Amino acid sequence: MNCRECVEHLYEFLDRELTTELEREIRDHLEDCPPCGEQYDFEELFLKFLRARCKTQGAPAELKKRVLRELFGE
Amino acid sequence: MAKTPSPDVSPPIDEKRASFEREALVHLDVLYRVALRLSGNPSDADDLVQETMLKAYRAWDQYEKGTNAKAWLLTILRHAFINEYRRRTRHPETVDLDKIEPYAVFPEVQDEDPQGAFFDRIVDDEVLRAIDQLPVAFRETLVLSDVEGMSYQEIAGILDIPVGTVKSRLFRARHLLQGKLYDYAVEMGYIKGSPA
Repeated sequence: MNCRECVEHLYEFLDRELTTELEREIRDHLEDCPPCGEQYDFEELFLKFLRARCKTQGAPAELKKRVLRELFGE
Repeated sequence: MAKTPSPDVSPPIDEKRASFEREALVHLDVLYRVALRLSGNPSDADDLVQETMLKAYRAWDQYEKGTNAKAWLLTILRHAFINEYRRRTRHPETVDLDKIEPYAVFPEVQDEDPQGAFFDRIVDDEVLRAIDQLPVAFRETLVLSDVEGMSYQEIAGILDIPVGTVKSRLFRARHLLQGKLYDYAVEMGYIKGSPA
């Protein structure tokens, strides 16, 4: 595993979408390679940031009422 | 001998309602968030969610209970969106996705801010605005993955594309979004950098 391959698979690694074997290779590489480790931290932080910024919004109460009214007539 | 109900008989209405509430209505927030990012405004998002729920309730007997209601509902929502979008838009988005070649932001900030502290200064609205500027094919993939936490397989099913395409769209969508947020952060003076 070289740095280019590691960076290419970084998102799949973070998303836990890799085979066990590839996942182990990436983990080994990250432990041995500080620059890739830094990039991993950065990308992980970015994804957490994204989720935190976007997940706050829920359906408005009025919409919930409207859906219930439409479906069940209440 | 106990009678077994015939499988093609619809369940009683209150049973249908109870299972719909339990398995479908609980996903209202997810549907709304995705609808809002797809349609771009609260009023259209409301209509899209409403239409999705009506369609889902009508087709509820076809849904295999206890499987993946969230993915099933999102598939309905996306079809509704595409139909509406095609109907309304005379000039649909003609972005050549393959020509978009986003770059990774990390090498740009590696020296100044490798921990990405500048992200913390970017407020919710700005992030949402940047997401809304992504081409729709990137936007929907990114939202399903990064906001709603769905797997590549689930996303592939909802968008009706191969898993490999999910992977490459997600990769490019994330980098494109990072680039937009980085440019914004530079513009605002949150980070020195040099805008791309």
